[in-house]
Amino acid sequence: MSLHVRPILSALLRNRTGAVLVAMQVAITLAVLVNAVYIVVQRSEKIHRPTGIDVDNVLVIASAGFTQRFQIVPSLEEDLSWLRGLPGVIAATASSVIPLSDGGNNNSLVTRPDTQRDEYYNEINVDEQGLDALGVHLVAGRNFRHDEINPPHTKEDVSSFEPQIIVSRALAAHLFPGQSPIGKTVFDILNHTTTIIGVVDPIMGCFPSHEHPDWVYFTPRKPSSLNGSVKYLVRTRPGQRDAVIRLAEAHLSKSNPDRVVDWVRPLTYFRNLSYLDDRSMQIYLLTVTALLISVTCLGIFALATFNVSNRTKQIGTRRAVGARRRDIVRYFLAENALITSAGVLVGCALALGAGYWLSVQYSLPRLNLYYLVGGVLTLWAIGQLAAWQPARKASGVSPSVATRTV
Amino acid sequence: MFRYYITLALRSFKRNPGITTLMVVAVALGIAVCVMTLTVYHAMSGNPIWWKNDRLYAVTMDNWGPNFPYRTDSKLPPPELTYKDAQYLFRSNIPERKVVMYSTDGVVSGASTAPAEHVQTRVTTADFFAMFDVPFLYGSGWGGAADDPAQPLIVLSREENEKLFGGANSVGRVLRWDDHEFRIVGVLDSWFPRPKFYDLNGGSFGEPDSAYIPYGWGSELELLNNEESDCWKAEKIDTFRDYQGSECIWQQMWVELPDRVSRRRMQSFIDGYRAEQRKSGRFERPRNNHLTNVADWLRDNKVVGNDNRLLVGLAFAFLAVCLINTVGLLLAKFLSGATVTGVRRALGASRQQVFTQHLIEVGVLSALGALLGLAFAWIGLAAVHQLYASAHLGRHGGYQDLTHFDVVGVVWAVVLAIAATLAAGLYPAWRVGRTPPAVYLKSQ
Repeated sequence: MSLHVRPILSALLRNRTGAVLVAMQVAITLAVLVNAVYIVVQRSEKIHRPTGIDVDNVLVIASAGFTQRFQIVPSLEEDLSWLRGLPGVIAATASSVIPLSDGGNNNSLVTRPDTQRDEYYNEINVDEQGLDALGVHLVAGRNFRHDEINPPHTKEDVSSFEPQIIVSRALAAHLFPGQSPIGKTVFDILNHTTTIIGVVDPIMGCFPSHEHPDWVYFTPRKPSSLNGSVKYLVRTRPGQRDAVIRLAEAHLSKSNPDRVVDWVRPLTYFRNLSYLDDRSMQIYLLTVTALLISVTCLGIFALATFNVSNRTKQIGTRRAVGARRRDIVRYFLAENALITSAGVLVGCALALGAGYWLSVQYSLPRLNLYYLVGGVLTLWAIGQLAAWQPARKASGVSPSVATRTV
Repeated sequence: MFRYYITLALRSFKRNPGITTLMVVAVALGIAVCVMTLTVYHAMSGNPIWWKNDRLYAVTMDNWGPNFPYRTDSKLPPPELTYKDAQYLFRSNIPERKVVMYSTDGVVSGASTAPAEHVQTRVTTADFFAMFDVPFLYGSGWGGAADDPAQPLIVLSREENEKLFGGANSVGRVLRWDDHEFRIVGVLDSWFPRPKFYDLNGGSFGEPDSAYIPYGWGSELELLNNEESDCWKAEKIDTFRDYQGSECIWQQMWVELPDRVSRRRMQSFIDGYRAEQRKSGRFERPRNNHLTNVADWLRDNKVVGNDNRLLVGLAFAFLAVCLINTVGLLLAKFLSGATVTGVRRALGASRQQVFTQHLIEVGVLSALGALLGLAFAWIGLAAVHQLYASAHLGRHGGYQDLTHFDVVGVVWAVVLAIAATLAAGLYPAWRVGRTPPAVYLKSQ
């Protein structure tokens, strides 16, 4: 017995309400599913952008001198030589900022003096072990030399610039498109000149949330105590990070009575904090979408069960005149498929509409159609699965029911 | 009759425990998701000082460079003032109260056996505490005379006081802040306005300040703003004096203006000052001076991001699906119980009575769903709290305090749940009332 769609359809149309309700649920669920998954994937891509930094093996120590006796330069030397002497440590440097923390310094650089300044780039000050302490790779030029590292800024001297800097490849491409930046000069806000001596790539700076987080340059300057605590950035061998954290905390908090160690934290703490909103969004979207699919499944299941229990007499009659068990199953699955398809059709329109609106609100690229196709297939499969058990139950109705009167 | 209908409803639930549970759970889930999202949204966007919304105003001026605006996404001026502008405007007698301030950090030591510790400190003029209705546990703030010349007085937050003195009344005791002696004059009670409207620079949910010192110390100790400072001009800034005279913005200013008249006068005062300064070449950008109340300030600074609005939209979509589901399940349930209804109609119940009976059944269902939903929401919010707490956002500050119900929240959540479910039940109740009893009295 072949399956005719017309009779199913006309039976459905006579008793629309339940079907319409399920179709509405399917439509909304499809729209949400498609867009939610899309946003989750977008956020994942954002979180997994390359940083160039060996994030899992870097730790940060915040140290602040507070007495009149405190001297920053000897303190830096003492601390860094102790840190570098630890067996698990590959390299250590001192900076004023923490990469990936959404906090730091931005300064203006231009390629010609006295030009209009409307762009700012992320500046990270380090010493000759800076690049190693982050695990960043030099792809051109050279690193800073020890004698090129400038002393910390003081209250009398906050604005002097450094004669050499190392830039990121992205920033170099932006300032000097198509050329090698090595040896080129740039000008700071006071038109001091500085020469680019090296290029690193990849690198993400202090601001993962900015539009160009890879427009970064390193300066050879020790941190001052003018603006809060000094940040020691320490890179350890794999697996040694937590041990070094404990050692550093124990030793450094006592080694100098004129300063206080605020905290010792892994760099992952700062990175995770910067992406906390994105992660939470992902979890929320996935949870609600999962719940939504469950509720819709429930609805499909309930409708199918209801239909079956209402029509036992009809099922029995059909079985009595020769329908096999699987014809009954196919009938109900087909009915369910029609309803789901109607819902999916409307859902596609909703999904595209919502996708378009979201892309405008969030300036995201438009929804990829693969997501839509995936969503449709998923919902279709789920719909059939949800109706499977009631359909099986329907096929169990005995033909003798046809002859009973109650 | 009412109690009879309740009995009928409960009996009906007992007869169909499966479908009833499903319905209650579906409604509860929808309510839970909505309540959770709205609680967080409300907490994040609420105005923590709403009773003073029309009295407190943030003062901003556009001193930015002529070639490009401070913000690219809106026409608003920078959120802070330069030192010299703040100093001048502060001299005005028009506001009832006024405050100029910024955030810095310093190391507190010598207070007790507690080790030296870096604390976020607010350098502010005296009116801060009265203006923002900051509650005191012990003592009080300092008087205006203590700002300049700066007196060595300090106010601690409750948490800082707990850390240093175990929560005891420490007024009168002395501690060292950045190695200078300060005398404690006050200890605040717990105070975490969410968002931290008076200072959005450290993020809208930034760390609360642990200590407050008189404004004059900023100059005296050459304290820098450790949250946000921006400069546009190519000028020589070698010393702190230079910085104070520069076009860099780093001072926050708020005024309390009790009525429209004083607000207009203050606006004229600021505009007049700008006009005067233009003569010496400053303020090359078009006039853009603002007095912004707290609600607008939060909106202008985009305290509630797009993400949150999206989540609220999603929560309502979810609730819609849950309610549609409920309508379907109710229809199914009522129509399968139609034989009983048929008998009752035959015995004399009017359509109206049948409708009422079923609506009451829906009402009981929605009450159950609401209660369960609130329980789910509470669990959900605890999970959100855990998520943020595990990111080590600290004991206070961060998102921790967002995830608590407020009474208002609970009330409208319950109202929402019951109203929504009742609305969902209207159609099924009406449908079952409409069916002629004869259909269901006959054998199937």
